[in-house]
Amino acid sequence: MILSLEFKKIRRTGYIPAFLAGGLLTSAVPAVHMAARSQSFTGLSGTPFHILMDANWGMMAQLTILLIVCGCSLMYNTEYADRGALKMDTLPIRQVCLFFGKFTVNLICIILVLAMQTISVTLCGICWFPERAPAIAETLKGMGFELILLLPTMMLMLAAASACRNMWISLGAGVILTFTGSMIPPKQFALTQLPFAAPYQTLHTISESNIFPCLMICLAEFLVFGAFEIIYLYIRRKLS
Amino acid sequence: MNMIETKQLTKTYGNFTAVSNLSLHVPKGHIYGFLGPNGAGKSTTMKMFLGLTSPTSGYFTIDGRTFPANRISILKNTGSLIEAPAFYGNLTGEENLEIIRRILGLPKSELAEALELVGLTQHKKRQVKKYSLGMKQRLGLAAALIGRPPLLLLDEPTNGLDPVGIHEIRSLIRSLPQKYNCTVLVSSHLLSEIELLADDIGILNHGHLLFEGTISSLKDYARHAGYPADNLEETFLAMIQTDNSSRNRGDRR
Repeated sequence: MILSLEFKKIRRTGYIPAFLAGGLLTSAVPAVHMAARSQSFTGLSGTPFHILMDANWGMMAQLTILLIVCGCSLMYNTEYADRGALKMDTLPIRQVCLFFGKFTVNLICIILVLAMQTISVTLCGICWFPERAPAIAETLKGMGFELILLLPTMMLMLAAASACRNMWISLGAGVILTFTGSMIPPKQFALTQLPFAAPYQTLHTISESNIFPCLMICLAEFLVFGAFEIIYLYIRRKLS
Repeated sequence: MNMIETKQLTKTYGNFTAVSNLSLHVPKGHIYGFLGPNGAGKSTTMKMFLGLTSPTSGYFTIDGRTFPANRISILKNTGSLIEAPAFYGNLTGEENLEIIRRILGLPKSELAEALELVGLTQHKKRQVKKYSLGMKQRLGLAAALIGRPPLLLLDEPTNGLDPVGIHEIRSLIRSLPQKYNCTVLVSSHLLSEIELLADDIGILNHGHLLFEGTISSLKDYARHAGYPADNLEETFLAMIQTDNSSRNRGDRR
């Protein structure tokens, strides 16, 4: 029920069109890049997925994170703009349930965006690397890894948006963090595990010994930010 | 039997006391008028009943249930309109009520009935951000009335309505206890309004309860205390002025 309510709340806000347009835009990145500079990549060794991810994932990840920032800010702006959140507070429903409902909506939309990106990368591989067989399993594994790396960013951003009644504050902070995250050097393992920085990593560029710790750190961050939000909502209610 | 009872209910914000040692008794099935000038603590008290703000000290019970232990169960049985109507401006009136209906787990027929009750049926497909202030107020009332809750908390429900709208809403509120067997706590800073609506009244000033009882007992009280008793508006003003003067004297000392 919560999920359908949250989908209902974002009607006419531009949220769904923004994710669809964002998904198409990020999916167009490898296609446009290959169309413009295919000779720089077709001669490289390796699987088409690795080549395409190395060439395009930085831009695709940044756009995906910006999409998360906008989506989260928009969702809570809808709650605060006409005091819908206040009405929810007077109804027999828990704020925590609404928060995790919103997170699930975001997650579904990001899965949709990643699916569009997966299709785009696969089609680019078939189109520009016809002699090399498309590795579907490898592509799905790589994109699944990206989804896990995006989880802490999504959770932190949604928690920040829930704390800001003024959408511009969460939006501004999110944009700054997105660009800060993109500037972290990939060799700094600890720093690259932070939210807003982790999604720039790709599965095949991380050393094998670091894959498991990387996933565990992301899951731990995800749980910590989720727990932080539960505590925050509890304290906010107590202090009101 | 009281629907709402408060005991020494107090709310302070830093050095400012919004509600002080309030002991209210709202009888079941009655319309209780909560009267006081702006800033008297009426909205703060109602917010405490809904768990929007927590009491600094004291406690209250609603239909025998205590807060915060029974928060969800209290909210399930309470319809409210606090300060200004709260809604999602991007949704239509009908969609806003649909969200509330689903949270409360009510049948679909309740939605149409609530819209009909406040006269918004023909505007149900319009986005709420395009509603006039009066229509928003009516929607807020519909959101409070949906599901016929046993308790209604209405904070200045006729704000923003034209005289015809005020009359309609007043008649509607007046008919609720008989129609739906509910208790209504309605706040206002206009005695004339409360006089036409309420069975019982509570007068609040600077967070203190100055009087609680029926309109006729207020007249008796006014006569005994030396306040003008012929016109209730004058009684109210005299009570507030006397309280303010004594408060100022106390402050100076």
